[in-house]
Amino acid sequence: MVVAITVLAYVFIPYGYNNQFLLFNMMMYMALAQGLNIIYGYTGYLPFGYVGFFGAGAYGSALVIIYLHWSPFPAVLLGGLAAVLVGMLLIPLFRLSGAYFSIANLAAAEALYYIIANPHLASVTQGPYGISLPQVYDPNAAYWTMLAILVFALILSGLMRRSRFGLALGAIRENPVSAEMAGVNVVRSRAIAWLLSAFIAGVSGAAFGWYISVFYPETVFSLSITVFAIVFVLFGGSGTLLGPLVGTLVLYGAYNYIGISTPQYFQLTYGLLIILLVLFLPSGLTSLLRKRGIDVP
Amino acid sequence: MLKRVVLLSLFLFIPTIAAAESSAPHEIRIGTLYAGSGAFASSSIPQYQGLRFWVRRVNARGGVFVKAYGRRIPVKLIAYNDQSQTGLAGSLYTQLITRDRVRILVADFGSVLTSVAIPLAEERQILLIDPTGTSAKFFRGNNRFLILTGLPSSGIWPTVLADFLIAHKIGRVAIIYSANDFTESQDQTLVSRIEAAGIHPVYNHAVANSTSSYTLLLHQAVARRAQALIELGYNNNDIALLQDLSAGGMHFAMVFTINPGLRVPLFLKAVGAQALGGTFTYVTPPSLAYNKVNYGLGLAAFKQAFEPWNRKHGNVPLGLSVIAGYNSGLIIQKALETAKRYDSVALRTAIRAVSGRLFTLDGLFKVDSRGNQIGEPIPLGQFFMSQEKLVLKVVYPAKVATAKPLYPAPRWGSGRG
Repeated sequence: MVVAITVLAYVFIPYGYNNQFLLFNMMMYMALAQGLNIIYGYTGYLPFGYVGFFGAGAYGSALVIIYLHWSPFPAVLLGGLAAVLVGMLLIPLFRLSGAYFSIANLAAAEALYYIIANPHLASVTQGPYGISLPQVYDPNAAYWTMLAILVFALILSGLMRRSRFGLALGAIRENPVSAEMAGVNVVRSRAIAWLLSAFIAGVSGAAFGWYISVFYPETVFSLSITVFAIVFVLFGGSGTLLGPLVGTLVLYGAYNYIGISTPQYFQLTYGLLIILLVLFLPSGLTSLLRKRGIDVP
Repeated sequence: MLKRVVLLSLFLFIPTIAAAESSAPHEIRIGTLYAGSGAFASSSIPQYQGLRFWVRRVNARGGVFVKAYGRRIPVKLIAYNDQSQTGLAGSLYTQLITRDRVRILVADFGSVLTSVAIPLAEERQILLIDPTGTSAKFFRGNNRFLILTGLPSSGIWPTVLADFLIAHKIGRVAIIYSANDFTESQDQTLVSRIEAAGIHPVYNHAVANSTSSYTLLLHQAVARRAQALIELGYNNNDIALLQDLSAGGMHFAMVFTINPGLRVPLFLKAVGAQALGGTFTYVTPPSLAYNKVNYGLGLAAFKQAFEPWNRKHGNVPLGLSVIAGYNSGLIIQKALETAKRYDSVALRTAIRAVSGRLFTLDGLFKVDSRGNQIGEPIPLGQFFMSQEKLVLKVVYPAKVATAKPLYPAPRWGSGRG
C-alpha cells in the first residue's frame, strides 16, 4: 500500500508540478532515509558518515562511465557495489558502539572524501576538479531510475520489518549480548544490514551523479546529506517503514517551501521548526499514531 | 494619393504595433541564486548585491529597453538562497526555470554552484549568465546558452604574471596552488608559459582548498632557494599564507597572491598593511579604473552611486564580486537592447555580436564561440608602503604601469623585515 501510493505519487505529480529536480531530491532523500533506517532504525548504529557510501556510489558509477564507457544503468548498480565494498572495509568499526561508532564512521567518510579529492590522484578520480558526464545526461531516465531505487528500498525495508531477520536486528538493537545468547548471529546479521544500507546509499549516489551530470567531491560527500537523512528518519520515526517517508515529505517539503517563499528567513524558520519538533515530538511523528494505538507500518 | 498611402500604412502597421505591444511581457524575469550562508557566502552575497544594484538602476529609469518590443520593460529579479549547497541549488534553479518561468538565469558565485545550472540551462534552452564560474570544463562542450560575464577565463589570468617573471629573469620560482578549477588552470598556464621561456619551477605543489597552515610549504620553498613564491588560492588560502609569512619571518624576493588586489579592504583587515607591503597581486576593478568605458557606469560614477545605496542595503565590501554582479546585469541589458527577439538564442547571438566592442568598468567584454570570456589580460600590481599607508599600484606591463616594480621586494613588515 505504502509502496503503491509512493509510486503513483512520483509517476503522476510531475504532470502537475514540473520542478523535477525537487521531486528527484525528495525521492533520493526518501531512499537514503530508508537505507539509514535499515542500519540505525533496526540495529541502533547511527553512521554519521553515511554520505561516504553515497559519494562512493556517485564516483564508482561515474568512473566506469568515463573510463570503461558503461551505460548508466549497469553503472548505477556498480555504484551500489562500490559502496558495498567500502562498507566491507568499514565492518571492523562495529567493534565500537554508540557515539564512538558514529564518529569513527564520520572520520572514515572524510578520509574517503580526501582520497577522492586528492589532486595527486586526479588522473584516476579527477581529483578536486570534479566529474562531468554530458555523454549520458538524461534527467528523465535518471528520474525513473531513482524511483526504482526508492521502491527497492521501501520493499527491502518493509520485508525486513516483518521477517525473522528484522526481528533479529531488533534484538541486536535492544541488547546484542542477549541476542547472541538467544541464537542470533550478531556479527553476520549486523554486517548484512550494514551492507544493504550501504548499497542503497551507493545506488542513490550513482543516480544523483547521473542526474546532475556535473559534480565535485564536495557535492557528493557533503555532510549535509547525512544530516538531512538522519533528521528525516528521526523526525518521522525510526524503525518503521512510514516514518522516514513522512519525515522526508514533511521536513524536506517545508525546507523547500520556506526556501522558495521566504528565502531571507530560511535558516531561522527551519531551525525553529526543528527545535519545536524535537522538543515536542522526540520519538517522531509516527509516535502520535502509536500513542493512539494505531499500528504504524 | 498621399492620403491613401497614409491610410494604407496605418491599416498595415497599427495591428502589427498593437500585436507587439500586447505580446510584450509586463516584466523581464531574471532568476538568480545566492549563498546566504556556507562556504561561498562571502563572495556570493557581494555578487548578488552588484546584480541587485543594476536592477535598481534600470528600474529607476522605467525598466530595461527591449528592442524586440521597442519599449522599456521593468526587470523583476527572483532570487533564492541556496546556502552554498549544490543539491538545493539544483532544485532552486529548476524552480526558477519551470515555476517562475524566467527567461534569463544568472548563476551563483563560482564553478561549484554554477555547475548544476549548466545542464539544466542547456536542456531547457535558457540563457545562462555565468558571472564567476570559470571552470574550463564548462566551455569544452557545446553549451549553446552559456556566457561567462564577470571574469575572464582562469587560463587568461596569469599571462602578465608569467611575462613579468620572464622579463625579470626570475629563474627560481616556487608555486603553491589550491586544488580547484580556478587556480589549477592558472597553474597550468603559468607553468607552460614560463617553461617555454626556459624557467622550470623549483617547486610546484597542489594543496587542499581548506589549507590553513603554510609554514611547512614555505620552508620547502626556502629550502629550494626560491626567488619568487607564487601562491594561487582563494581568500582564505592567501590570508593564511600571508599571515604565516609574516609570523615566520621568511622573506622572498617576490611574493605573489591572487586576491589582495581584488579585495583590498578585506585583506587590510585580515592581515594588516605591514604583511601586505611589497606583495605582488592582480589588479582588477575596483582597484583598477579603466578610462575607456563605453557602456554603463565608469568606476568613479559607480562608486558614487553604489556606496550610499549599499550602506542601506546590506553594506557589503566593494570588491571584484560586486563588479562581476553589476557587469552581468550590463551584459543582459545590452543583449535586451540589441536582440531582435526575446528568446535565449537571439539574446546569446546579440551578446556574441557585441563581443570585443563592449568596454565596461570590468574591462573589455570579449567571448569566444563557447561563451568563454577572453577579455583583457589582468595587470600585475604591488603594494607599496608610503608614510605608513598602503598603496596598490600597477607595476606591469609597462604600458599601463603607474609605478616601477620593487624587485627584490623590500622587508616592510615587522615579521618580514
